[in-house]
Amino acid sequence: MSDTKPEIAFVKPALPRAGALVLPLPEGTALVGLAAEADAATGGAITRGIEASGFSGRKGQATTLFAPGAGIGRVLLLGLGKPDELTPEDAESAGGALWPGVASATEVLVAADTLPPALAARMALGVVLRGWRFDKYRTTEKPEEKPKAEKVAIATSGVPAAKAAWKPLKAVAEGVFLSRELVSEPPNVLTPAEMADRCKALTRLGVDVEILGPKDMKKLGFGALLGVAQGSACEPRMVVMRWNGARKKGGQPVCFVGKGVTFDTGGISIKPAAGMEDMKWDMAGAGCVVGLMAALAGREAKVDVVGLVGLVENMPGSKAQRPGDVVTSASGQTIEIINTDAEGRLVLADVLWYAQKQFAPKYIVDLATLTGAIIVALGHEHAGLFSNDDALAQKLLAAGTVTGESLWRMPLGEAYDKQIKSDIADMKNVGGRPGGSITAAQFIQRFIDDGTPWAHLDIAGTAWSTKDTATVPKGATAYGVRLLDRIVADHDEDA
Amino acid sequence: MRYGLPRLRLRFDAPKPGRTTLLALAAGPAPHEAAAAAGFTGASGQAVRLSAPGFPDLVMAGAGAGEARDWERAGGEAMALLLAEPAATAAGPRPTTSLRAGPAEMRPLRRIALDLRGLPAEAAMAVATGAALRGWQPPIRRRGATPRPPRLMLHVIEDEAMAPAFARMEAMLRGVALARTLVAEPANILTPKRFAARMRHLARCGVQVEVFGRSALEAAGAGAILAVGRASANPPRLVVLRWPGEGDPVVFVGKGITFDTGGISIKPALGMEDMRADMAGAAAAAGAILTLALRNSPASACAVLALAENMPGADAWRPGDIIHTLSGRTVETIDTDAEGRMVLADALAWAVRELEPAALVDLATLTGSIVTALGHHRAGLFGNDPPLLAMVAAAGETVGDAVWPMPIAKEHEEALKSDIADLRQCASGKLQPDACHAAAFLRHFAEGVPWAHLDIAGVESREEANWQGPAGATGFGVRLLDALAAARFEDPDRLT
Repeated sequence: MSDTKPEIAFVKPALPRAGALVLPLPEGTALVGLAAEADAATGGAITRGIEASGFSGRKGQATTLFAPGAGIGRVLLLGLGKPDELTPEDAESAGGALWPGVASATEVLVAADTLPPALAARMALGVVLRGWRFDKYRTTEKPEEKPKAEKVAIATSGVPAAKAAWKPLKAVAEGVFLSRELVSEPPNVLTPAEMADRCKALTRLGVDVEILGPKDMKKLGFGALLGVAQGSACEPRMVVMRWNGARKKGGQPVCFVGKGVTFDTGGISIKPAAGMEDMKWDMAGAGCVVGLMAALAGREAKVDVVGLVGLVENMPGSKAQRPGDVVTSASGQTIEIINTDAEGRLVLADVLWYAQKQFAPKYIVDLATLTGAIIVALGHEHAGLFSNDDALAQKLLAAGTVTGESLWRMPLGEAYDKQIKSDIADMKNVGGRPGGSITAAQFIQRFIDDGTPWAHLDIAGTAWSTKDTATVPKGATAYGVRLLDRIVADHDEDA
Repeated sequence: MRYGLPRLRLRFDAPKPGRTTLLALAAGPAPHEAAAAAGFTGASGQAVRLSAPGFPDLVMAGAGAGEARDWERAGGEAMALLLAEPAATAAGPRPTTSLRAGPAEMRPLRRIALDLRGLPAEAAMAVATGAALRGWQPPIRRRGATPRPPRLMLHVIEDEAMAPAFARMEAMLRGVALARTLVAEPANILTPKRFAARMRHLARCGVQVEVFGRSALEAAGAGAILAVGRASANPPRLVVLRWPGEGDPVVFVGKGITFDTGGISIKPALGMEDMRADMAGAAAAAGAILTLALRNSPASACAVLALAENMPGADAWRPGDIIHTLSGRTVETIDTDAEGRMVLADALAWAVRELEPAALVDLATLTGSIVTALGHHRAGLFGNDPPLLAMVAAAGETVGDAVWPMPIAKEHEEALKSDIADLRQCASGKLQPDACHAAAFLRHFAEGVPWAHLDIAGVESREEANWQGPAGATGFGVRLLDALAAARFEDPDRLT
């Protein structure tokens, strides 16, 4: 195993005889259920602890009581906020927030017996999302530095209902983990060929996986993608993943397209050395699409979806593409290369063209760690959303709000498009610093057929995190998996 | 004062035959053979110069679908064509046989007739607006006489809507021209003191003008403006312009850094000359007040202009300094080149304390970050009041001062936490969403009053001439504020 995460078990409410007991408590209510039982068993230690610590149940509040009695090692009091305002998202955040407080315990029981089973399942999702860890390459870590909690039991009054609710959530979590793992892998391990091989594993879930190599892509005329790849010793790949979960035949599929630059040196327009190691996650768009396909197939979503990823490495090798080169994309449009470090849009150009030609999608969403400009524009909380379709944009914005994978819409327009006019070709691949992420989106839009609803998510600021949040440990965030799973669930699945 | 604006006259007769004439037409069949021969279709953006019966020098411009902005563009494109070849005729440039006559460009057009007789008031004034704004001239200081912009004779049908529409347009044009002129002036000519002195001229139009100098700012506790202006030999000023009306005023707050070297966090030399335009927010606020006054607006409006020069010097403000702002908040300085938010902090606080604003709208050439985000085609719009923001965006869209809403997120607020003061002025490091950080910073000083913030860096100047004006100052914001005042602040019942 390359990663670790706690196993979830749903159990009937019963007091543990050892380990950690988590008591999620709403604001301003008396202790009931397991919490009341624990209080009685410990001779009122919990009531005294609540009083002494000033714990009120406010949302996000957490207090630990050690050795309260009855053999229990510790009690973690977790504030849920006002009971009538508790949302599934809050339950999930609470699940994530409890993890750091119990990771060092060997046994963990979460007393979710007062919550509806569906919320208990959402809490479990929070636990695993936060408890995931990529420790494949840690060989000398001391045991005391590793989390001990391998299993987290969730006590619920409705075990079957909680298990039923958990099943699709677990599938989504697996998709998130796959995505995080791919993004975390170092670039000497995760080459385009290796990543394509890993996509093959999705066949186990019933996904049809097709891998195209350089010869296939040459035949298709992928001059833009191949131009990026030609400076690297690692061959490029395109992977097409099809999940046919719709009950009706002959409908239009939804297409998701990801930028997968497994390492981006910038090429001949090479990047500064400081921070270049971050460029291993320049395939996070593709990582998201692969994880999303795993999530949808894993929960057997009733929808036809095609995920496509363009996988290349951008290196300054002896055959590398140069600034000044003109390449012909699969669409026939020619591109003057001004900066070889604006390579993501070149990869997307060909893959998007293929997706539309081959699948005539109902709508198409691409994800890419595309520009530094989007970080300067928005920071790390919102990804940039560009779209030619207001209805699709609204759906994405709404899905972003409920999943916590937030989006902010950015403008498109003719005035920006003019910035990528070329003197020698149909367009150039950069439009200068002003509006840098907008001109990148304009470039991509030139490869979208009129009438195809399209959205482009610039995730350069959200794919990787330097600090922990409630449900996402620092590192690869898998941004987009839950967002796109949600938009499909809300709008595209057969009833 | 014309501020470089062409003189305009409204006439209810036909253009004199033989005079250079401008004619705007919506898309459709060419009106005569000459137009057809020139390929004129009326498409938006098209302008041709030709000879037609009775009109030896006729400029025809297309207004496409005939929206207000299309008419304006027609006027602008036609004017651009005339300015490019001022002495040309349909037969080509006039032969220069006499040495005394000089080359063609030395003999400018004196008068241009705008044949607007086929148009209703709104469209007619839109054409005139386009021509006048394109014909605006920056303050030019060369040896010898500078040609004046040509006079524009607006020939319209007799319609009672014409005169009020004309007056309204003139007021707007003069506001834009004032703003453009202020932005175009170099920093040795337009110091904070001289900017303030020019504001005193607005008293002639009924605007109440108050100027606060260094000692008054010290008495008021305006530590941020004083810090920014400290090292300069040209001390800072706070100027308050009041256009009195009923009810609490809408207050326009403008950043007026007459020159921004960056201070101790000094800017690279390349392109620093553009920093004379770092007072474009204050210029727009002043221009808007002039417009409201000239058209005798029933709105109650004020402008607060924070004027300072940001210089390095022996007694300069430093990174690390803690500044006591007028609001009472302390601010830790990270970068002395983030000076705009400092002067705005005090100006906003002053407005909140002294003017009981119904709403605050600030304009500032604030961040390079917004240029990276939105380029030169839209300003960044931030704020704390969604209805006000929607009105600002709508007003901007109507008049062509385009904006785009931007977020103030939790992370942006958190980035301003300081270890030793109430607020950090900005975050350090590369790839910072500085425009969002600046907006999060300013939000504190609006104190909950409905507030909109326009980051106009990138739209205050244009690199190349286009149909909207010559290269340089755009006057961005004046028309937006004028339209906003008209839509929201002129009917007291709408103030909630």
